[in-house]
Amino acid sequence: MAETGMGSHRDWLAQLESESRAKQQAFMDGIATKLGRPRVTSAPAHPFRGAPDFWNGFEWPLEERIERFTDNFKSVGGHVERLADMEAVKRFIAAKAVELKARYAVRQNQPELAAIGLEEAMPEVRFAVWNTDREEHWMARAAEADIGVMLVDHAAAYTGSLAVLSSKDTGRSVSLLPTVLIAVVPIERLHTRLGEILVPFDEAGREALPAGIHFISGPSRSADIENDLTIGVHGPGIVYALLVG
Amino acid sequence: MSGTTQPVGSTAAGTTVKERAELALNDEFLRKAVKFTTERLRGGKLKASEEHGNWDDWRERGRQIRLHTIAHLDYYLNLFADNARANGVHVHFAHTAAEAVKLSLAIAERNDAKSVVKSKSMVTEELHLNHALESIGVEAVETDLGEYIIQLAGETPSHIIIPAIHKNRYQIAALLSAEAGETLAPDTTVLAGFVRKKLREKFLEADIGMTGCNFAIAETGSMVLFENEGNARMVTTVPKTQITLMGMERIIPSWSDLEVMATLLPRSATGQKLTVYMSGITGPRRAADADGPEEMHIIIVDNGRSNQLGDPEFQELLNCIRCGACLNACPVYRHIGGHAYGGTYSGPIGAVLTPALQKNVAEWDDIANASSLCGACYEACPVKIPLHDMLVYLRRRKVEAGHGSKLESLGMKGFATVMGSAGRFGGVLKLGKLGQKLVVRGGVIRTKLGPLKGWNTYRVAPSLPKQSFRDTWATLEEEIRVGLRETAPDVKQRLEAVIRERKQKEGGSLHG
Repeated sequence: MAETGMGSHRDWLAQLESESRAKQQAFMDGIATKLGRPRVTSAPAHPFRGAPDFWNGFEWPLEERIERFTDNFKSVGGHVERLADMEAVKRFIAAKAVELKARYAVRQNQPELAAIGLEEAMPEVRFAVWNTDREEHWMARAAEADIGVMLVDHAAAYTGSLAVLSSKDTGRSVSLLPTVLIAVVPIERLHTRLGEILVPFDEAGREALPAGIHFISGPSRSADIENDLTIGVHGPGIVYALLVG
Repeated sequence: MSGTTQPVGSTAAGTTVKERAELALNDEFLRKAVKFTTERLRGGKLKASEEHGNWDDWRERGRQIRLHTIAHLDYYLNLFADNARANGVHVHFAHTAAEAVKLSLAIAERNDAKSVVKSKSMVTEELHLNHALESIGVEAVETDLGEYIIQLAGETPSHIIIPAIHKNRYQIAALLSAEAGETLAPDTTVLAGFVRKKLREKFLEADIGMTGCNFAIAETGSMVLFENEGNARMVTTVPKTQITLMGMERIIPSWSDLEVMATLLPRSATGQKLTVYMSGITGPRRAADADGPEEMHIIIVDNGRSNQLGDPEFQELLNCIRCGACLNACPVYRHIGGHAYGGTYSGPIGAVLTPALQKNVAEWDDIANASSLCGACYEACPVKIPLHDMLVYLRRRKVEAGHGSKLESLGMKGFATVMGSAGRFGGVLKLGKLGQKLVVRGGVIRTKLGPLKGWNTYRVAPSLPKQSFRDTWATLEEEIRVGLRETAPDVKQRLEAVIRERKQKEGGSLHG
């Protein structure tokens, strides 16, 4: 069974890698042979890359983006609020915590959230700030949280989607494990199409990408039991998008 | 639980599609459930594709991206492997199911794993991986609600998108009550609530998270998962080790191309504008991150897929994005359900993919007959795979390989002659209307002779209506065929040249 020393595990992974590299050659040669041509080793021209041209120029004006995002997000069971500023965000979250009788909450370690003093606004809630202590079991903190709070990186109106990127300060668990998710969307981050969010990942390149890029379009759902829609199967069952600005 | 021992209940127990279909057809609930669900999904798809607009332009774009990627698969797969490795992923290659299983078990053993949590993956079904994990004492837990239910029942999925389509909530309540050790009400909220709580424990204690892969992005080495429940996110966030099994053809070049797939896949599968979660995972957790797997493996699986490369009749099978739209559109699937197909993949795609992957036309020959060749699958397909044509090729290859009878050989020649001309086909239908008078009894045809032999041996065909579908839609079939010929003559020609060359070299049929 398992070797205990890290060295032997690393040796084993290294051995697998050398086997994998040899097999990779055989795999690719086999594909080329079956396709009846030599190996293709430089990037082929890809004339059909990405969405059709007619789509790429498409953009709604801001008010329509807000309206469409709201309609789409609500139609799948999410909640949307339009708020004037971050002060209003603080008041909304504090009131929601009281209404839902929240006892535990977790938020991403983002300066915009730190600036509004969420923790001070709701002293009755035990607030954890993601990854601020290396000794803490952060997934457990997120799993016990009634409410998770995060600022999103992007949103797309056409599909009613939020997009979040993982980092040291922004955990994947915060948008996944709490019962209620509250997502703050600065209005200038609300785009029309998914492509406006996806294409920049190509431009940024492999090394600039985080481990987790997550698009979230409403509460977790399933229709696996007699086609009867259930909300909150594994992820948050209640999701608020707060459009700010 | 799709091991070598055949499970009981409504799962496949017969050995031929005929026997399995009889089981399915006898199950009133299954038939109603399949019909209800597939019609709901199909309705959702039609609404979503119409609402989106320019649907055929998007389909064509999706098809072109898939054709391009598969035509240069050695380049893109190699690029993906190199980039994933640069991201810190341990990449592995498996020619066969046995190799993929061996690698998965070795990773589980090396990490001293007691339990594996899995999100929905057709590849792991294909490999019977749960069974293999259990054989070395590792618990494998399916975490998709529907998959969890059928795992408790000891059955296999009957629909690619809604695996427990054949179970009602009373049956589900009984299964979950046994697991809970208390009686749970047959109420969806109660049942889902129990599963949420139960599986939370499983996620938190699991050593390994195992996933499939919807798309793998070559240029950045990222893997992409589409889902609604959040269980795939749990599986890729909580356990220390992640293993992803991907078919070698899952590749797309870029995130830009993902926009097209994200437009086609959810709309075709469930009628959603996007699934609740779409996750792009690029390597294991970064050193400073506080969640995500520390060790990440991707096993790239061939298992018969590469047999389709260079085959002019079947290469486009590799374009499939596993949406299930062809199942929902298929009148035969809607009637007999998924288990009747007997393989991992059901419906029109399964009818072609199962024998193609297994390379044994003889054993699976009857599955190709479980289709009415109406072309609904092609029209539903978001990447325009000509499945109905492939079903005909499969039947022809079966006959060529000597697995058909003399009578069927004659039939195939006749079929080719007839299908070659829409006018002649119409004529034959008219003849049929006259000819059937000899065999119709009580409004149905039960004879097992002649052109309806394959069909009638496992179902009763309705007699031909006075005005047939063909009469009303006289040009549909022709349009589909002519349209296809026009779209990619160069690709087809090149592939045909390749196959001629290979046949000369090997002197045999590719699928025989």
